Order: sequence, then C-alpha cells, then structure tokens
Amino acid sequence: MRNRWSRAIVAGAALIFVLPAIFAQTPNPFKGDSAPDLTGVWMIDHFQPALFPKGTTPPFTPWAEAQFKKANTLVNDPNLACLPHGIPRLMFVPLPMEIFQVPDKVLIYEEAGNQLRQIHMNRGHNKDLDPTYNGDSVGKWDGDTLVVDTIGFNDVTWLDHVGLPHSEALHVVERIRRVDHDTLVDDFTIEDPKAYTKPFTASQTYHLKPGWEIAEYVCDNNKYIYHEK
Amino acid sequence: MFCLAVGEYENISLCGGIAVNSKQFLCLFTLAICLLLASGPAFAHHSTAEYDMTALTAVKGTVTQFEWSNPHAYIHIDAKDDKGSTVEWTAELASIGMLSRVNWKRDTVKPGDEITIYGNRAKNGKNLMRLDKIVFANGQELSAQVR
Repeated sequence: MRNRWSRAIVAGAALIFVLPAIFAQTPNPFKGDSAPDLTGVWMIDHFQPALFPKGTTPPFTPWAEAQFKKANTLVNDPNLACLPHGIPRLMFVPLPMEIFQVPDKVLIYEEAGNQLRQIHMNRGHNKDLDPTYNGDSVGKWDGDTLVVDTIGFNDVTWLDHVGLPHSEALHVVERIRRVDHDTLVDDFTIEDPKAYTKPFTASQTYHLKPGWEIAEYVCDNNKYIYHEK
Repeated sequence: MFCLAVGEYENISLCGGIAVNSKQFLCLFTLAICLLLASGPAFAHHSTAEYDMTALTAVKGTVTQFEWSNPHAYIHIDAKDDKGSTVEWTAELASIGMLSRVNWKRDTVKPGDEITIYGNRAKNGKNLMRLDKIVFANGQELSAQVR
C-alpha cells in the first residue's frame, strides 16, 4: 500500500511538471501547427493619408497622372459614397482590425465597413477572377512573416486617401510580421504597369490593443460629407 | 483652456485680425503647432483637407440634435452671430466605435444642452467644423480626439 501511494505521488508530481510542456507543444488547431501568432486587435500607429509625401512624385504613367488630376478628396473619393477602401488603402484606415487564424485562412476583420478580408493560405489565385474591391488574396508563411499576394481588383478604389489611382492590373504584395508582442508591421510592394512605370513600396505599423473589440460600423449617414458639391 | 476668452461666437485664428499680445500669440502658436503635430488617427472616413487645421474656432450654443452615426457622428447647435441672429452650426466627430473608446455615448450631449464646441472650421466658410472638444455649461471638457 505504501509503495502504491509513493508511486502515485511521484507520478502526480511528474505530471505537474510535464503538463505545461505538453500544452505548450500542443498546436493551436485554428492557427496551424507552426504558424506565428498574428491574432489580436490592431490599430495603426499613425495616419498616413498620402503614400507619396509632398515634394515627391509618384512614377505615374500618363494615364495615371490624368486620373490623379481628377481626384478630389471632397467630391469623388469613392469612400465618400461608403464604397470599400480596397487594398492597400484598407490597411491604412485609422480604425482597428482584428486578425483571426483559422484552418486554411487568415481573416482580417476590419472595423471600416465591418469588412472581412480573407487571405487564403492553401491555394493559388483562382483563374479568370472577377474584378472586386479587395481582390483575391493568397498567403504563405516565410519564416515569421505572412506573405500576402493580391490581384483581381476593380479600378474603383484609390490606393491612399488623397487619390492615387490604379487599374485592374494592380498587384499588391504584403509582408506582415509581428516584430514584437505589441507591434505588427505590414510592408507593401505595389505594382501596376498601366498606372506606374515601376513598383513602389509603403509600410504601416500597428499596435496591439488588448481589450478592444471591433464595433459595428454601418456607413449609413454620409449626407453631410459632400460639402463641396 | 485657451488664452482667449470664449464669447458667444468667437473665431480664434492665427491669421485673423484679432489683436493679441506676445503671451497670447505664444499660446496660440503653441496650440497651432500641437494641432499640426496631432496627426493621429482622429477621423476615419475622409481626409481633413476641407478643414482649416491651423486654427480653432469656438462656438457657444444650444444643442438641437446629436446624430450618433457612422461614418461620423454630428452635433448640431443653434448659436448667435455677432448681430444676434440665430445660426446653425454642425460639428463633425469620429465614428461611433472610436468615440465609444474615449468615453462618448449616444446621450453624451442632448437637445437643450448649452455647450461650446471647439474645432477646425470648414475652409469653404460654412458653419461646419471638425470637432476637437466640447465644453459643457459647468466647465467640464470632453475631448473628441480619438487617437
């Protein structure tokens, strides 16, 4: 009897030491075995309305330069009509986003319009894509970085908040990584041979917002924002 | 609190014709610089290009409506102009999700409340501003900045 109790105590003590290690190694079934954890609510660290600061010139093609001259943030910003921001502009919006990692997808739930951005992890781009506001995003892991490739856009949206145009040939590659527990960085490479003579880059940093929840956001009261019409 | 006293309808402008002493100018200059540096994500839906971000306008009046809505919330007040006539002013706020995170609620202001709204006036001269903060009749202040 005494030996049985001793063995039970030893086994229990061993289990107490081993359990944390077992759970630590248990893969999150919703995240993928070894995928880095990007989940949480994130908010941009600063608002950058223009991808090209004053004094710098975007590498416009003549078509894009003409489009840019027509852009008026007070009149024809597609967002004034409550249309989606599109990619990459959606990622620059000063509203929080929540990242979920589920089997075969990384999901970005944006407060802006309560849009759900899907990044498909285990497939390539579908063929003959219908042009859409947010395009078709496919992702893969490169070490601790989520590489997102997006094509299949319509040409309705702007790339930034001041009117950078794009065509349906837009191709956006994002490298999203958690540089530390509270900081996420998304590095963009943007190319569109109809609109720009060469690719260009942008970057956005986000801070983790513990305790924040994504709020409902229905764009149903935009009647005052066409001030200049 | 700002250096200049708030009247019924007072425009605080760095470029206006208001006579200020050097101390007042320093205060206003500092305020303007702070506003320019405050590039945080205050407003979500559209750019601030339509507003004069270099000056704050203060308007005292009576709340007629508070629209708790997206993409922006709006406060409407009736104020008196310098001739004593009633004029309507509208203040544009951030989205209600962001406002909720800085303690605004759907009944933070109610019709009949006497408040002073501070903000950046529309460049087109309309009685419209991008709200910076409100001050209640009892002197309590509430910021509308959501960064």
